Amino acid sequence: MAKPAASLNNIVVCRRCDAVLSKPKIEPGQKATCPGCSALLYELKKNPMERTMAVSLAGLLLFFPAILLPMIGVSAAGTHNEASLIDCIIILLNTDYHIVAFIVFLFTIAIPIVHLLAAFYIAVAVHFNKISQSLLVFFRSYHVLDSWTMLHVFFLGVVVSIYKIVDLAELTVGGGLMSFVLLLICSTLVSVTLDHHYVWEKMEQALED
Amino acid sequence: MKTNAKAMGLGCCPCCHKVVKMQAETQQCPRCHRSFSVRKINSLSHTFAWTIAALVMLVPANLYPMMIYYTLGQPEASTILEGIATFIQFGMYPVAIVIFIASFVVPLAKIIGLFILMYHAKRASKLTVKQQGQLYHIVEFLGPWSMLDVFVVAIMAAVVNLGFLSSIEAAKGITYFGLMVVFTMLAAESFDARLLWDAQDQKPKTDDSQSQLNEAKSR
Repeated sequence: MAKPAASLNNIVVCRRCDAVLSKPKIEPGQKATCPGCSALLYELKKNPMERTMAVSLAGLLLFFPAILLPMIGVSAAGTHNEASLIDCIIILLNTDYHIVAFIVFLFTIAIPIVHLLAAFYIAVAVHFNKISQSLLVFFRSYHVLDSWTMLHVFFLGVVVSIYKIVDLAELTVGGGLMSFVLLLICSTLVSVTLDHHYVWEKMEQALED
Repeated sequence: MKTNAKAMGLGCCPCCHKVVKMQAETQQCPRCHRSFSVRKINSLSHTFAWTIAALVMLVPANLYPMMIYYTLGQPEASTILEGIATFIQFGMYPVAIVIFIASFVVPLAKIIGLFILMYHAKRASKLTVKQQGQLYHIVEFLGPWSMLDVFVVAIMAAVVNLGFLSSIEAAKGITYFGLMVVFTMLAAESFDARLLWDAQDQKPKTDDSQSQLNEAKSR
């Protein structure tokens, strides 16, 4: 039953059904899935660090216009009003919906920004081989936050709102919406390009020495 | 029998997926330094608690209005279902369907799905274990999408703000709805899908022992 520690590197355990499988050899760009429950085991990606660096930096820069510039506006009978993402939160705070304001802030600003920052820092550090213990904390938090970013849901919310408003009054679209769409694309690409398996292996090697 | 990591005394780190030999109930991963155990501790009780909390929030979320719409100073409050009814009246079927699915069907389906999963983690069932795994995957995937209604109300309240002419304000129901979504997400997070496969593995054993008992009785 007791196996030497070295052989543990040649097996992989499925996180969904707990099956023990021998580690398949795959090429960059391929995926390995569990034969029992078809969950993703791991995958190897092409140029993971360079791509993540570029995409996460672009995302971080886009954050400012996406939050601060007005997204959509309405005008009717001579009055005009437009709102940015931050305005949504401020208005909720002003009308005493503190919990809702906190939820919106957390899922559309706080978590995505930490998520992108963590991805950028990890990509830079691994690419230039400056791996330290603090990187572990960053990558762990990256994993925890992965399922809690809701930029895509907020975008669908904007689309639904546009659909609702078009009926009521004249609609204007601001620069904020454009930046937000680009930000959404960047943050999605980060999870596509960042190779978890690669980063953990690199970190393990670097921290062992 | 299929090889199972728990039976072999192995554990898989939930964060970095390193396979480690489990020396204690809970131990630290040598690679990412996160402490973990073979199965999430008290997984079912945590899932049950969060699901009950979500179920409690579901009631006020549907009874209280989500937003108040003022036209020429006249307030008009609408709950989730009333809002959908208005869309159908105006013939805007695509939006009505999106909102009906996102804010009524999905939250309810998630809570029912979580109860089904918790039931099956205890005993084996007609559903194959692969289908149960897919059900968990769906519940997990749908989690953030239910937040749609909260975001729509937040955007509408900020954008439609033309003073006396027409304005929209958030209403009580939105707080309960937001909390409900967060609670179902926490419930899905604390559920350990591997318990489903554990229950499946235990089933043939109990059947065997029962048939042995029956044989013994018949003798």
